[in-house]
Amino acid sequence: MKDKLWKQYIDEDERGLPVLQPSSGISRRTFLELLGYTTAAIALTSCTAPEQKIIPYLKQPPELTPGVANWYASTCGGCSAGCGTLVKVRDGRPIKLEGNPEHPLSKGGLCPVSHSLIFGLYDSERLQQPAIKGSPATWKEIDEKIVQQLNAVKASGGKVRFLSNTINGPTSQATINAFLSQFKDAKHVVYEPISTSAIRLAHARTYGVEALPYYKFEKAKLAVSFGADFLGTWISPTAFTRGYSQAREVNAVKHEMLRHIQFESCFSLTGANADKRVKIAPAEEGEALLYLAGLVADKSGAVNGLPEGITSYQPNKLSEPSKAAIEKCAEELVREKGSSLVLCGSNDVDKQHLVNFINQTLGNYGTTIALGPNAAQGRDEDIQTLIQEMKDGVVAALFILNANPAYDHFESTEFINALGKVPLKVSLSPTLDETSSLADALCPTHHFLEAWDDAEVVSGTISLNQPTIAPLFQTRAYQESLMRWSGDSRNYYDVLRARWQTSLFPRQAKFKTFDEFWDKSLHDGVYVAAASDAAATVFKLDGLNEAVVRLASPASPTDGLTLALYPKVTLRDGRFGNNPWLHELPDPISKVTWDNYACVSPQTAAKLGLTEGQVVRIKKNNAAIEVPVLIQAGQSDDCVAVALGYGRTKAGKIGSNVGANAFPFVELANGTFRYQIGGVALEPTANTVSFAKTQTQDSAEGRPLIKEYSLADFISGHLHEESEKQIDLWKPHDFPEHKWGMVVDLNACIGCNACVLSCQAENNIPVVGKDEVRRRREMHWMRIDRYYDERPEGTTARFQPMTCQHCDNASCETVCPVLATVHSSEGLNMQVYNRCVGTRYCANNCAFKVRRFNWFLYPHDDMVANLALNPDVTVRTRGVMEKCTFCVQRIEEGKIRARNEGRPIKDGEIQTACQQSCPANAISFGDLKDLESRVSTLRHTKRNYILLEELNLRQGLTFLAKVNNNGGDLEG
Amino acid sequence: MNLRTLKILSILITVIGAFFVWQKGSFSVYGDQFGYEPIQPINFSHKLHAGDNKISCLYCHSSADKSKVAGVPSASLCMNCHTKVLPDSPEIQKIANALNENKPIEWVKVNDLPDLATFNHSRHVVAGVNCQTCHGPVETMERVSQQNAFLMGDCVSCHRTHREVTLDETGRPQIASENTTKKLMASTDCSVCHH
Repeated sequence: MKDKLWKQYIDEDERGLPVLQPSSGISRRTFLELLGYTTAAIALTSCTAPEQKIIPYLKQPPELTPGVANWYASTCGGCSAGCGTLVKVRDGRPIKLEGNPEHPLSKGGLCPVSHSLIFGLYDSERLQQPAIKGSPATWKEIDEKIVQQLNAVKASGGKVRFLSNTINGPTSQATINAFLSQFKDAKHVVYEPISTSAIRLAHARTYGVEALPYYKFEKAKLAVSFGADFLGTWISPTAFTRGYSQAREVNAVKHEMLRHIQFESCFSLTGANADKRVKIAPAEEGEALLYLAGLVADKSGAVNGLPEGITSYQPNKLSEPSKAAIEKCAEELVREKGSSLVLCGSNDVDKQHLVNFINQTLGNYGTTIALGPNAAQGRDEDIQTLIQEMKDGVVAALFILNANPAYDHFESTEFINALGKVPLKVSLSPTLDETSSLADALCPTHHFLEAWDDAEVVSGTISLNQPTIAPLFQTRAYQESLMRWSGDSRNYYDVLRARWQTSLFPRQAKFKTFDEFWDKSLHDGVYVAAASDAAATVFKLDGLNEAVVRLASPASPTDGLTLALYPKVTLRDGRFGNNPWLHELPDPISKVTWDNYACVSPQTAAKLGLTEGQVVRIKKNNAAIEVPVLIQAGQSDDCVAVALGYGRTKAGKIGSNVGANAFPFVELANGTFRYQIGGVALEPTANTVSFAKTQTQDSAEGRPLIKEYSLADFISGHLHEESEKQIDLWKPHDFPEHKWGMVVDLNACIGCNACVLSCQAENNIPVVGKDEVRRRREMHWMRIDRYYDERPEGTTARFQPMTCQHCDNASCETVCPVLATVHSSEGLNMQVYNRCVGTRYCANNCAFKVRRFNWFLYPHDDMVANLALNPDVTVRTRGVMEKCTFCVQRIEEGKIRARNEGRPIKDGEIQTACQQSCPANAISFGDLKDLESRVSTLRHTKRNYILLEELNLRQGLTFLAKVNNNGGDLEG
Repeated sequence: MNLRTLKILSILITVIGAFFVWQKGSFSVYGDQFGYEPIQPINFSHKLHAGDNKISCLYCHSSADKSKVAGVPSASLCMNCHTKVLPDSPEIQKIANALNENKPIEWVKVNDLPDLATFNHSRHVVAGVNCQTCHGPVETMERVSQQNAFLMGDCVSCHRTHREVTLDETGRPQIASENTTKKLMASTDCSVCHH
């Protein structure tokens, strides 16, 4: 057929070369003539633009100016860390989350998950209205029906259970308790699929206080972590990162720097940033802790009354290098008594018990660790009790809020079957997930950006969460639903205010009236009270001996491969599984998007004959998953690591069936969920898949892309030489007013990727999907390059945020045939979308590969999702090049504000999106012509260097070299 | 269909197309909306308000000196005066009804820039550029029409000639003032408008 078409118009000459047939119908000339006429006709008929409407308010709210953003302080609802946010609201629509610099915990940082939540607000797959048994209903009908059934439950005295994730808000907790108090037998079951309850239980054992302590990294000089990913996913990563980078900052006057040692079996983001990372097998962790406890007790002379299991402990399985590392670590810890931190990521109470003992011996409680009052949140085995009760048919009504055990419980089928026996199942969750799709009644709650709430994560620091948009759909705050069902017709805002008035207002003396107090707290987003009764930190040795005995002789098999289950920095426990921003955000270490996989060490892969991308079946008992293999440097040979949070079946159009669900492997032992599973079998299959990776290069190949110095070298000032002045072929640019520049501190950057998502939200960057990422067509303007640093003492990684460098001698500018990329009078490398014709010469000539090409017209047909777009940034079309602009829309806004007020621009007034919410404060931006500005000052410090300086590109972006604290004389 | 029919047909399309355009009165330059004068839902006269009664532009377009958009007044703002002034006029009744029925008024946009360009009203108003410089003699118009082609050249030519904006002693920007203390540029960088 193809052949025939070809022959119809084209003939072959005597040499066999194609020639056009003499036309029988339309000649070439006539064709062009017709084309001309029709083009002219179309052009002429279409020269009026479509009619546009302006629809002003009927009554304009006084606080609102069209086109000017309002900012509201609020609290992030992404996880239980409760970071402070500022919500940017343009013309009534929240379009961006940023960090609240005045929040005492997160101090202006935000994690990638938080940035992605704007997408979740405008997710049209959220539940839009209440429903009974699958058919839409009104709130009135639902309320009548539920109240009627609850009255029956009250009369019969049946059990009522309320299942939720961690509730941080004291007011919400009070509302739940009030609702439950109307029943004879009612209980609140708190269920976290990725649990840290062992830490709370260990503190209950050692201090009689069931609470999560707060770790003050900013006060520490030495942090030793056993598998705790505190910079990535553990408890409160943003706040910890702030403290960590603050403690690791070195400059002309501060020469003291936090040292960080990580013992771990998989490769975590935290381990990648450690000064020293010791690879241990999962089975060695218990022994390592025991050995360290003994050594620390011995060296600090606190052996009296200690169980013999600790004082005379000799490890038998611990490898020699690990043993040596523990010994050195013990010496360092004792040297930094009172200003060190020992952490453990395990959910084994015995291990946490030992960690408490070590921290207590080192005197860290009260200095680097703050323990608040009792804050019991429920225990991991509560869900098991609930399932048993449901199976027995004694639960009369179950209310579910956000918890999703039908997906993330290790025996989800048990849960689903048991759930079938509950006569009244009410879901308050905002999405139709695996669990809520089994409910009788759907009573969707608001997105947190539409809701009132408060949160007290650390005792005495109470954050407020305020709505920034009226509910988009017919949802209702779950607190109000519960109140309606217990005969309370107030709205939740009044309840919140009333509770603040009675419980918090009397605790302060600064404000005379409650309104003033409330307005100030709401404005700041947080109220810091004096911490209520600090718990008596009397350490009890009870039970330590038993814990030691259990740890010294583990019951579960320790040979064979251990499966380590971990949450990814991006997707965490999978609750935001329908968010494409999170799926497309590369994992900070593996740089893989849209998938989970089995990480195995290169040695193990060689031993088992596995290749990268080969699908393997991991099995233990009834649990089995098939995932592709990812060969991960720096991983323990005895360990295979698989990320949780994938394999959702009812996440939505985007998130369903991405990756495989590893939750069925979770085990429950001694009352806590365990995420390290010994004795798994790994079977290779014949299938191979290719990963959608954004970086395939693992090593910097010895090039000095990331300069690094030891702390001693930094203090002594033996750094790189100032390079000689290079000769330019071009005349230097003239920057009459400003010259914008950026400095990225590689010593602060931890590679968390928060900047990437902040940039994506600010600049309307599209998502391209797995297949396009495979073709290297991802659109992120910012990326973080990761280079492994493989040394005999352990593998770590180096991170380098990479975005347009705004070179003065830009290689892209000289090759653009249409002048679509040119230099501005303020040092910006501009990309003019309406001029660009898409030759892609610029991207080809860029030394940093930071330019992105729109291969397609990425869909913008979801009118709800489009509400998230930033109106100050053009939505690019197919066929144009784009890249980082240094957030030129923010620069223009700042310039205009200053000029309108007739004053110069203040340093720090203009912040780029990446800079604003960097949890590590690694990015500085400002005017290089202002010699007092922070960027100018940083540029003249010793650590400043220019990437690929030999190319003489004269970048507007420079880096500050990394400093490695190798622990001085103790390290070889 | 033979070739001659095709040719005649395409010429016909061209002529008819051109005729329609002619009807709307914007035959001059391709793509330019000069003279565009749509019929508005309410027969509002700028001549009466801004011209005869000399109401300041900023009274209704109150965000013009604060925001990138000048702002179209809310219905309640009209009623500040019109509860007293001509409350029974059929046109005012439309506004009152909109308020009563909670149905916003849909004005037709006259001056519309393409989405690839951004313009900030406040910078120009605060710098002392008259509204009429770009919008024409609005105070004489019964119905507003577009009095500027709003092509890039129109913007750039002004930015070039007013390249030196100066600050006076009080720090307020002045156009073409002699006592220059600090020069401020009316920039011609692409990214000033295209981002």
